[in-house]
Amino acid sequence: MQGARQARKYRLQGAGLDLALPYLMLAPGLMIVLGVLIYPLWDGLRASTRAYRYGSPISDVGLQNYVRLWSDAQFLNSLWVTVKFVALSVSFEAVLGFALALFCLHEFRGIRLLRTVLIIPMVITPVVVAIVFRLIYASDAGMLTALSEAIGGGEAQILGNPLNAFIGLVVLDVWEWTPLMFLILLAGLQSLPHEPFEAARVDGAGAWRVFADLTFPMMRPVLAVAIVLRTIDAFGTFDQVFVLTRGGPGEATRLVSIYGYDTAFKFQQTGYAAALFVTIGLVVLALAFSAIRLLRRVDAS
Amino acid sequence: MSSVLFRNVVKNFGALNVLRSLDLAVPDHKFLALLGPSGCGKTTALRILAGLDMPTAGKVFIGERDVTRLQPRDRDIAMVFQSYALYPQMTVAENIGYPLWIRGTPEAGRKAKIGEVAAILEIGHLLDRRPRQLSGGQRQRVALARAIVRDPAAFLMDEPLSNLDARLRLTMRGEIKRLCQRLSATTIYVTHDQVEALTMADLVAVIHGGELQQMAPPIEVYDRPANRFVATFVGNPPMNILPAAPGERGVMIGARIVPLERTRLTACRLAEIVEIGLRPEDCSLAQPGEPGALPGEIYVVEPMGNETLVNVRLEGGNVSVRAGRDFRGAVGESIGVAFDPANACFFNSAGLTAVHRVNSNGRVK
Repeated sequence: MQGARQARKYRLQGAGLDLALPYLMLAPGLMIVLGVLIYPLWDGLRASTRAYRYGSPISDVGLQNYVRLWSDAQFLNSLWVTVKFVALSVSFEAVLGFALALFCLHEFRGIRLLRTVLIIPMVITPVVVAIVFRLIYASDAGMLTALSEAIGGGEAQILGNPLNAFIGLVVLDVWEWTPLMFLILLAGLQSLPHEPFEAARVDGAGAWRVFADLTFPMMRPVLAVAIVLRTIDAFGTFDQVFVLTRGGPGEATRLVSIYGYDTAFKFQQTGYAAALFVTIGLVVLALAFSAIRLLRRVDAS
Repeated sequence: MSSVLFRNVVKNFGALNVLRSLDLAVPDHKFLALLGPSGCGKTTALRILAGLDMPTAGKVFIGERDVTRLQPRDRDIAMVFQSYALYPQMTVAENIGYPLWIRGTPEAGRKAKIGEVAAILEIGHLLDRRPRQLSGGQRQRVALARAIVRDPAAFLMDEPLSNLDARLRLTMRGEIKRLCQRLSATTIYVTHDQVEALTMADLVAVIHGGELQQMAPPIEVYDRPANRFVATFVGNPPMNILPAAPGERGVMIGARIVPLERTRLTACRLAEIVEIGLRPEDCSLAQPGEPGALPGEIYVVEPMGNETLVNVRLEGGNVSVRAGRDFRGAVGESIGVAFDPANACFFNSAGLTAVHRVNSNGRVK
């Protein structure tokens, strides 16, 4: 009898504050997540099924907004521009970043300084980067124009020419985000074991074979992660384009982010814009998942 | 196969002097163990031979060739690393075949050779696996297979057994020895384990503080150590060292006189010996008061199964004695330690062996 009461007492102590404590400690974080992540997501999903006028929902239209997207030539064009932009930028960034990381793996005088300097573009506020590039690209008083005139050419037409503006945007993105690739890949390279490389040297491999047979295969998972990260990020590029070209000239640099922004805030089609962004979100999600699946398969084989 | 020669090889890492003038000659077809405590420079010596590190000064020869400034791949060597250093993303077969593939051996010849060495090392059933799917012992075998798949001038092994568990280490020790004898290959084997060095090698080079202490066949290193360091590093338990001084009719150990034959006593006196060295198996336990035995008391008793190690505290220090498995004694009991001085060696104040034991072949019991 005494023993049973004692046992119940212990159980009750265990069932009280002790059990609730983990949930209590989780609660603030959970509230924040609910407030800033889950609610806006749900609100956005709800908005994407409505029609708006003057900023207020007027009717539920079901999936009509989603259906309309695929017959909207402007949307399809912006999607195409975005895919081109992402593919070009990310591949340049991957190649350049890998090359720089390989170079910076060697120890020599000033290497620490060089590694630090290479990171700088990444830490500058994107809007500031865009302003600097506008100063470089400007056709009247830009640096490129100055350079061109110094060697006897005319004004450099960058932002006024559709193709040049697009290339200019890619260059900006490569300049700003190669450091991220560089950083991830350098960390990856530094974490590789030394011995297989020494073994390969003894076994008779030259620099190129060491790279092709060892470095690259061993780095593939890291490279894949870096590319996935950058791809997701590049799909959401907004501020640089907004400052540099606002999507122009014409639709040459109008990424989906800019088109969605215009739809929502210029044309006040909140519901349609929400549907657009939900769609893009799903596309990026699908990309990320398939990339991760691909990664796993490479890993497992 | 080729001989290997180090001539005055010096290696500094910044201000740190790792090798000070190493001279070493390994004859063709011999198995040399580079033995020394960690940090003694033995691995550095091996890496210099492999071409992975450059010597600060001196020359390295493989056969007749001066390879000091050559790239590793131009030295015609094969190396087994402590961590195996397998290529993680290649299969076992690709790992083994890599040295051949890189040299452009046609596929048919490559396959045949891979099959051959895989059979020797009994890993034929693992050829399609990847290194991470293998156990430590299997990885070790793959690393060995990759080394012997070619016919290099020399094999270099950097503590290949130290990542294996104790039991596997014993097995692989025997197998590597067999393999090297079968290939009759010039082998440089780095180890800090004196048992490995003694059991496997034709020649043992003991290195300490970046300097060669002694190079000789294992038995000679064991029986006729060149100095106090070699004497205490080789052998388990290590050689017992007691302070000693030459006296009128024998050697004085503490207050006791141990009689010594005339010529050796003269040699001891001339060399001004300060210490006597005795192998544990050359000592025996005796009754406390027995004439000629050194009196002491039991300090530790360690039954090993096949024998008992008895540590006895004597006047000048502690001494290990190998006793029979049926030895019974309590800690603190009085006991005597007897030995035949013909088996003892003597060190001078510089730590060099001044007077060796009488007979290096037959032990006097």
